[in-house]
Amino acid sequence: MRWLIRRVLKQGKGAVSYEEDVHFGEVLSIGRAADQAIFLSDIRAALNHARVTAISPGNYKVESLILAGIRVNGALTYAANVGAGATVEIASTRITLLDPPRDFEAAVEISALDKTEQEAAKARRAKPTSLKQTWLGKRLPSWFAFVAVLLFGLLLPLASHFVPPLGRLLAHTGLPTTASWNPGPLDAAHRFFGDDCKQCHAKPFLTVRDTACTHCHTRMAAHADPAHFNLPQLGEARCASCHQDHLGLAGMVNTGQQLCSGCHADLKTRTAGASQLEAATDFGKAHPEFRLRLPAWDASGQFTPQLTRLTPQLKENSGLKFDHALHLKPGLNSPGGRRDLHCASCHQPDAGGLAMKPVAFESMCHDCHTLGFDTFAPDRQVPHAKVAEVVYMLDDYYAKRALEGGYTETSAPGFVQQRRRPGEASLSPQQTIEALSWARDKSRQVADSLFTGRACVTCHTVTRDAAAANTPGAGWKIAPVRVAGIWYAEAKFTHAKHSTMQCKDCHQADTSTSAGDLLIPGIANCRQCHAGESGGSKVASTCIACHRYHQAENLLLKQL
Amino acid sequence: MNARHESILNHARSRWLWFSLALSLTCLIAYAWHSPSVPPNGGTWLGYTLGTIAGLLILWLMLFGLRKRSYSGSSSLRGWLSAHIYLGTTLILIALLHAGFQVGWNLHTFFLILMLLVIFSGFFGVYCYLRYPTLMTRNRDSATRSAMLEEIAELDQNALALADGIDPKVHSIVLRSIQNTRLGGGVLTQLRARDDSDAALAGIRAALEAREKNNQAAGGAKSGQTIFAMVDFLASGTNDRQAEALRKLIDLLSRKKALASKVARDIQYQALMEIWLYFHVPLSFATVAGLIAHVVSVFFYW
Repeated sequence: MRWLIRRVLKQGKGAVSYEEDVHFGEVLSIGRAADQAIFLSDIRAALNHARVTAISPGNYKVESLILAGIRVNGALTYAANVGAGATVEIASTRITLLDPPRDFEAAVEISALDKTEQEAAKARRAKPTSLKQTWLGKRLPSWFAFVAVLLFGLLLPLASHFVPPLGRLLAHTGLPTTASWNPGPLDAAHRFFGDDCKQCHAKPFLTVRDTACTHCHTRMAAHADPAHFNLPQLGEARCASCHQDHLGLAGMVNTGQQLCSGCHADLKTRTAGASQLEAATDFGKAHPEFRLRLPAWDASGQFTPQLTRLTPQLKENSGLKFDHALHLKPGLNSPGGRRDLHCASCHQPDAGGLAMKPVAFESMCHDCHTLGFDTFAPDRQVPHAKVAEVVYMLDDYYAKRALEGGYTETSAPGFVQQRRRPGEASLSPQQTIEALSWARDKSRQVADSLFTGRACVTCHTVTRDAAAANTPGAGWKIAPVRVAGIWYAEAKFTHAKHSTMQCKDCHQADTSTSAGDLLIPGIANCRQCHAGESGGSKVASTCIACHRYHQAENLLLKQL
Repeated sequence: MNARHESILNHARSRWLWFSLALSLTCLIAYAWHSPSVPPNGGTWLGYTLGTIAGLLILWLMLFGLRKRSYSGSSSLRGWLSAHIYLGTTLILIALLHAGFQVGWNLHTFFLILMLLVIFSGFFGVYCYLRYPTLMTRNRDSATRSAMLEEIAELDQNALALADGIDPKVHSIVLRSIQNTRLGGGVLTQLRARDDSDAALAGIRAALEAREKNNQAAGGAKSGQTIFAMVDFLASGTNDRQAEALRKLIDLLSRKKALASKVARDIQYQALMEIWLYFHVPLSFATVAGLIAHVVSVFFYW
């Protein structure tokens, strides 16, 4: 087999000349040994470095004879089948395999790599030695991170605000919607519509309007009439000034006392005299004595409680005569035997626990204070609290007894005392008239004694119309009674919340001998346990603990 | 002359440390003094104030990237970096006070986490900047990397010349060793400092053990085997002149390995000093996007 070996000789200034040689043999050996077909003088070449076998014209097999392998077409290999045009680089020599020209079966071209080529090859093979040369970058990841956060954090939620169907789609796929902006859990009552931010945040970049609140809270009362009290800022206060949501179960009611004390420090001057409320800025330190609703009645008997500042000398008029101390004595003599009475025997909390139920004669007094009127009929009693009924009932009772006969009282006529048997002749018309006349007198006499001596007057103040003063059984009047009720209407006091206390801790009933004693405690009593916002060791009680803000009676919030 | 070495941390008598401490203390006092009627959050007046400070701080911290590239600034870059570090650290406190320490499953907390990631990656950067330059100088031993690389190339040539005088087999082994010397590479290779020096020592040990088990364990491109092969050759009994040359060759290769190891370590230190920036910078841009999203969303649903 004939090999053409062409050496490229560079002669400076780009001039090139060729030197051709012929080699006979199947294999072309390359190396630094003297017997090699292609002799390389470079120290980096091994003695027997590589060999090339011509498989067919234009096809060669290149084999490395050293452990390190050789570089064929730039890649390290131990053996490779290549076509014409392939290059083998050994040290500073490049061997190019050629298509054999005429008369040859194989051909190679040998050229020396010049310095720039060697440098380039070296640089090509050099591995990166700093991170800048690797795939790592900062610019692209920065852009990517910036755009990704902006897209998922802002743009998608924004889109879900403006295109609700898209919002539902995003929520369904778990992508961020405006819900991802929620800074904190909503108040429990607002959660059922909490997915829809627009329910409250109606207009972008505007604070939540009051209309968003009053849309549902339609009956919410205002605080006071800004026009009447010369306080325009009262109308300008937003719901959100006090009620902030997204604070979770902490609730939305702002209990800070500065919300109230800001105005209630000098309300008289602020309202130009329209309000006469005393300054109240801290329950423990600056709060006037309570005003209570003292029972009173107008001329027509209508209950018109008088708002009166509490003083130690103040007496009340409940309309009753009652001695608390007497009733609280142990071992009271009663029709049913000895009995001990307690506060709860008469004062029982209402179902809500707020106040006490009205005292009921039938269930509380009647056991001892019976309303019997006739020793011949100890079971019969007059009705309570119905003045007219008393007289009617007595009339009926004595008429019946007179006509039946057998009423053995000595003042009665003989035929009334006489018991009649069945079938016996009834009274004559004259006797009937007499009997009924007696019955009438008797009933009126009994009525008068009930009202003035025996029953009513024990507890009640009984008066008589002057016009009816000479008519027996007529014109009696019982003074109106108010025992239990709301004493402090401007504040909310709940008995149920104070059930750990004893009654006598606040109400000095055991030493009270007169119903006129006002057993309702004042502020000093409350201050034993309660103080203002910075309460120290006492119960910290801000304004809202007792008072309501939304308390206007005739003005709704949405009317402002 | 100030004899004390000035680092990024104590620049200008730690001016920025004191400034940051004062800022932190002011914010803490304001936070402690402030008693809003609702739980502390970004929506109170102090919350808005702290939020504004924190937002402006983030933007100012981002400006460091610009300042680093401009060479016209009147203030020193070291001063800027010192302020960047201290004010960046202060940002953690201000941001937490702004949020009233409230976190949730929402964009705002995500933004907080992003910001914290940026700051903590920065902490790693500070650690690198304080630690590695010294190690680098010590490692280079007053040479430069290119000088070391040139010396390696020279040693390679000399080793080949020596090996050639001994035996073709040795020459081939040395040649392979040259080809297998790896300096630099991908990100992980640079960070791990995978070089031939450690592998050579370990390789000898491993090869010795392997030889006990398997007499003629072949293959692999472990450069450690270069030395092992030569020791083998030495032991196989050649003439004195060759043995002498072989000893020289081993010296040369050991020297080369020491150098290669230094270069690899040099590359590693440099990579470690740079790698955190590839997190710090993109994350900081994500944080700016987070800031925009946070502010816009908060006021969008005011």
